[in-house]
Amino acid sequence: MNHLPQAWGRPRDDIYGAYDSSYLQSHGPNQHTQQPIVTGTSVVALKFKDGVIIAADNLASYGSLARFTDVKRLRTFADTSVVGFGGDVSDMQYLDRLLNSLDTEEAYSSSGHTLNAQNLHTYLSKVFYKRRSDFNPLWNQILVAGLDGESKPFLASADLLGTTFSSPSLATGFGAHLAQPLLRKVAPDEEAAAKLSKEQALEAVKESMKVLFYRDARSLDNYSIAVITKDGIDLKENEKLEKQSWAFADQIRGYGTQIN
Amino acid sequence: MEFGTSGSLNEGALADGIHVDMDRLKKGEVKTTTGAYIANRVTDKLTQVHDTIWCCRSGSAADTQAVADIVHYQLGMYATANNRPPTTQTAAAMFQELCYENKDRLSAGLIIAGWDERHGGQVYSIPLGGSLHKQSYAIGGSGSTYIYGYCDSNWKEGMDEEAAVNFVKGALREAIKWDGSSGGVIRMVVLTKKGANRHLYLPDTDYAVRHQ
Amino acid sequence: MTSIGTGYDLTNSVFSPDGRNFQVEYAVKAVENGGTSIGIRCKDGVVLAVEKIITSKLLKVGANKRIATIDRHVGAVSSGLVPDGRHFVSRARDEAASWRSTYKTPITTKDLASRMGGYLQAYTLYSSVRPFGITAIVAGWDSELELPVDGQVGSGPSIGSGGKVEGKTYGGPGLYMIEPSGMYWGYYGAATGKGRQTAKAELEKLDLAALKLSLQDGVKEAARIIYVAHADNKDKEFELEMTWISNIDGPTKGRHQEVPKDILEEAENLAKKYLEGEDDEETKDDDKPAEGDKMEE
Repeated sequence: MNHLPQAWGRPRDDIYGAYDSSYLQSHGPNQHTQQPIVTGTSVVALKFKDGVIIAADNLASYGSLARFTDVKRLRTFADTSVVGFGGDVSDMQYLDRLLNSLDTEEAYSSSGHTLNAQNLHTYLSKVFYKRRSDFNPLWNQILVAGLDGESKPFLASADLLGTTFSSPSLATGFGAHLAQPLLRKVAPDEEAAAKLSKEQALEAVKESMKVLFYRDARSLDNYSIAVITKDGIDLKENEKLEKQSWAFADQIRGYGTQIN
Repeated sequence: MEFGTSGSLNEGALADGIHVDMDRLKKGEVKTTTGAYIANRVTDKLTQVHDTIWCCRSGSAADTQAVADIVHYQLGMYATANNRPPTTQTAAAMFQELCYENKDRLSAGLIIAGWDERHGGQVYSIPLGGSLHKQSYAIGGSGSTYIYGYCDSNWKEGMDEEAAVNFVKGALREAIKWDGSSGGVIRMVVLTKKGANRHLYLPDTDYAVRHQ
Repeated sequence: MTSIGTGYDLTNSVFSPDGRNFQVEYAVKAVENGGTSIGIRCKDGVVLAVEKIITSKLLKVGANKRIATIDRHVGAVSSGLVPDGRHFVSRARDEAASWRSTYKTPITTKDLASRMGGYLQAYTLYSSVRPFGITAIVAGWDSELELPVDGQVGSGPSIGSGGKVEGKTYGGPGLYMIEPSGMYWGYYGAATGKGRQTAKAELEKLDLAALKLSLQDGVKEAARIIYVAHADNKDKEFELEMTWISNIDGPTKGRHQEVPKDILEEAENLAKKYLEGEDDEETKDDDKPAEGDKMEE
């Protein structure tokens, strides 16, 4: 038996073969995050006449476990923009701190000029692309809502690959499948969105959140919603889904013959 | 890829911190298993990183001990350099930075609980990916999945110290009962302005008598 | 100047036999020639003001700011060599940012002053550098509220944490002045630069220790004091530059910002009116402390 200290705690080479120490070498590719752990689900958003509405529920899941139910996934920037985060929560927190320092650096110059939502989206998408190119992606899909350089409603998405997209309505994750069709019905194009009232838009977004709660197993009935206009951000972080419909369950009967 | 964690001891147990009206209280139970064999049946997973800032460790014992050692050192430096004790938040920020920046190398789930003059008792949870969550109470480790329901039903806002100790004890007894990888003794520490106060409860006396 | 010819003033970091460091004292001279800077600690905020000397008519009005934002809740101004002031600001920003990334919470005004004091002191120790030719005033508002860890999610119990020590308050206005030697103190009201003696006399009349002066009145007093102190530098043109930091309920919501134009102009008009009134009353401006050459105050 090999009694040398360097063999302590190791399977014996004569039985298990030589130890494969290749992972200790520094050459070869670096390996980083390969998966998100604590995650948020969909973010949905819709442009309207005077601005943008964006919403996300307050759940952070750990696999299928609804682990944290008080996670606010809408983050404000400079009192003019809102970023909605889906995906990994630790990366969301990293980006939140990054935006914080960006905001501080913006305040160094006293020009009074601040980054608008469009600038913010460009910045974030480049951060995402840089990180994916380093094979160390930030595991998020985000929506940026606010106003552009001409004070018109702005809405765009960016994701872990650095992909960007813009549309009168957007939704990430499950929402892209379930909410997007509903929102498109309300605002099929920019012209239609520019005619929507705040009330119409709010109703459409809230309806989307309800459908997502019905059909997305990683969702919660507690959510945050923000209305962004030129007057600022109206953010509510503790909304409860209203007017759910479950009573029809009464009419449903399962498999097999039943007396009642 | 899993180097550094495979073959290490897994503390397959439950760690739990709770935040109560008067105090900060934190608790952890106890068994360190390697597969089905119990390597240590009276583990102490409550780790002090400053006078009234403690953590509960779950995941790889080697990883969490290394992280706790680093934060212990950094908090000591903070107190000396700034001439004041660190806050629980300071500790949480340090733990999070380590867990987040090294997420691909660590298997560490941590609960940080502490008392400080300004913020009173606080509990933070840092799960696997390295995110930071402020909570009223926190549960973690393998046994915790068995007691989400118990904790949600029995936790009350503004409990006093005795109620909090009973809540924690009750939660741990359930975890020990249902989780094959949790068991043994119940260790607890109560963090208040008076300092850190340890509790120990043994199965011999059905966890009813405080031995420490 | 007893130092001249002794040789003890030819390099930094060398003591004279009677225990002085002449290079540091010369740096103080540079400060004494600079435009006056002041800071006032009010009950609901802090004001910074500077008498910005205009060195050329070809410079754009309002450009070349002298008061800088260090972190969102902290500002700084200095009198003396302007480039040294710029470097001070750059270092202070780095300190504030590094504190944030390490502790994930804003640096307090006091901790920042401590770090900068240490930094300036290091520039008195080596023969390869010279001391800073500035005295800087650092002002900030440290939140009285419990701040979250930067980026944190979740909020704990809705009734807040238990077990806090009752009756203690935290945060509030912070005002510190750091000298070329690295020495720094906290002040109720701080003044430096050419007109500091006059400005200090005015500040002392305000009973700032009682912490009763409101931020709005503080702005007016700051403008007035800069105008009064300009008497020590009459032959030069100047612009008044002012910033403030209010508490979270005030006009800047805890941020360091320029005083808005309308409020600045109102304060300036009041200051000018005050000076006119003073001239009418008595033309005996002569018994003002005619200093500027004096070594110590």
